[in-house]
Amino acid sequence: MIRLTHGLAALGAATLLLSVTVSMAHAHAVCGDRVFPATLTIDDPGVGDELSLPTIQYLPIPASGGGPSGRSVDYGYEWDKTITQDLGFALNGDYFTRHDAGETLHGWDNITLTLKDELPCSEANEFMVSVGVIRLFARSGSAQLRSAGAISSVGSTQPTLYLGKGLGELPVDYLRPLAVTGEVGYQVSDSSHVSPSQWAYGASLQYSMPYLQQHVKALDVPEFFTRLVPLVEISFTSPTRGPTTGTISPGILYESDKWQFGVEAIISGNHATRLSQGTGVLLQFHLFLDDIFPNSLGKPLFDTNLWKP
Amino acid sequence: MKRIIPPLLVALLFAGQVVFADMNSAAAHAFLDRASPAVGSTVHTPPTEVRIQYTEELEPAYSAAHVEDASGATVSTAAHVDENERSVLIVPLGALKPGRYKVIWKVLSVDTHITNGTFSFTVAP
Repeated sequence: MIRLTHGLAALGAATLLLSVTVSMAHAHAVCGDRVFPATLTIDDPGVGDELSLPTIQYLPIPASGGGPSGRSVDYGYEWDKTITQDLGFALNGDYFTRHDAGETLHGWDNITLTLKDELPCSEANEFMVSVGVIRLFARSGSAQLRSAGAISSVGSTQPTLYLGKGLGELPVDYLRPLAVTGEVGYQVSDSSHVSPSQWAYGASLQYSMPYLQQHVKALDVPEFFTRLVPLVEISFTSPTRGPTTGTISPGILYESDKWQFGVEAIISGNHATRLSQGTGVLLQFHLFLDDIFPNSLGKPLFDTNLWKP
Repeated sequence: MKRIIPPLLVALLFAGQVVFADMNSAAAHAFLDRASPAVGSTVHTPPTEVRIQYTEELEPAYSAAHVEDASGATVSTAAHVDENERSVLIVPLGALKPGRYKVIWKVLSVDTHITNGTFSFTVAP
């Protein structure tokens, strides 16, 4: 999951694209039997036409130096749009609020734009790879938040590698629904003496009940359970100066045909992280625009694949 | 804080509309809903056909499936979409001996999404 800002503006821009023709559509992060769901903390390994609206993150802020504790709440947005079948962009950010030590801060976070290309996947191995570049526009958010140090005042550019591997080849049937995804990138700061460059990396381990039901063993259970994907995500950053911080996020996704709902706990991954945040929660409603608007907004702008001329 | 309320309200209304629409329309990826013989099942009477129910209606010209035995030999004839129920793909079978069989399918839903997949079933003596 990447954050998205100014959701209404994104929706407005998206509406302008409702003017295209019918063709065969490819979207979701699908590779052979495997469908990689949209994860909440890290990005999935594919490109697609999707909208995360809203993503809400609640984090308690621990007391420090005898001061009172506080909390922060983010209201995030993300719009993913395919340019071709394999190439897409994402626009994201959030509206940030923080109540801490008797003070309240709120405003729009910086906008982030991602350009991402999905390489041809190995269907037999359920293995897919994407490469991308994430650009953080430092002066696109609230000046008040920036001056308070709540959001970055320095832009950055982050080349990123995304991976997804389904474990459908495992010899034990009930382990075949397992899959792992991951991403790793190096965030190059525009001004590293102000804000250091850093490694950003994360992974997810997921168990797909839809995969079990459709490809391994149809269970006689209520349909609700056949649409669940329990998972755990980890996400860390390691700056060139300062401590590594990160989170561990166990949770569960519910997969509908056109939308997905996810909830995860956000647990500090190490001591340095625990100093700045307590255990929080992340909620997300995610829309598959390729299924909702398959012949307009939910299809690539150009019906080609750069890897399959 | 007041600035967040209008976009959040729009978001919730949009989400609610989509959820509601999902219950009333049929236009999405065609994923396997159920199959006969069931996915991963063991049957004692050799089936004469595999019947796959999808979550969406299919385009007959671009939807196909076949069944292989353990050696990889095809044991089915040409698959076809059920004329009376266009979300069902039927794969006629020859005489099956006891063994494990793999169903390989690739379909195009009416909204132009391609999906493919595999599953197995076993015929026991």
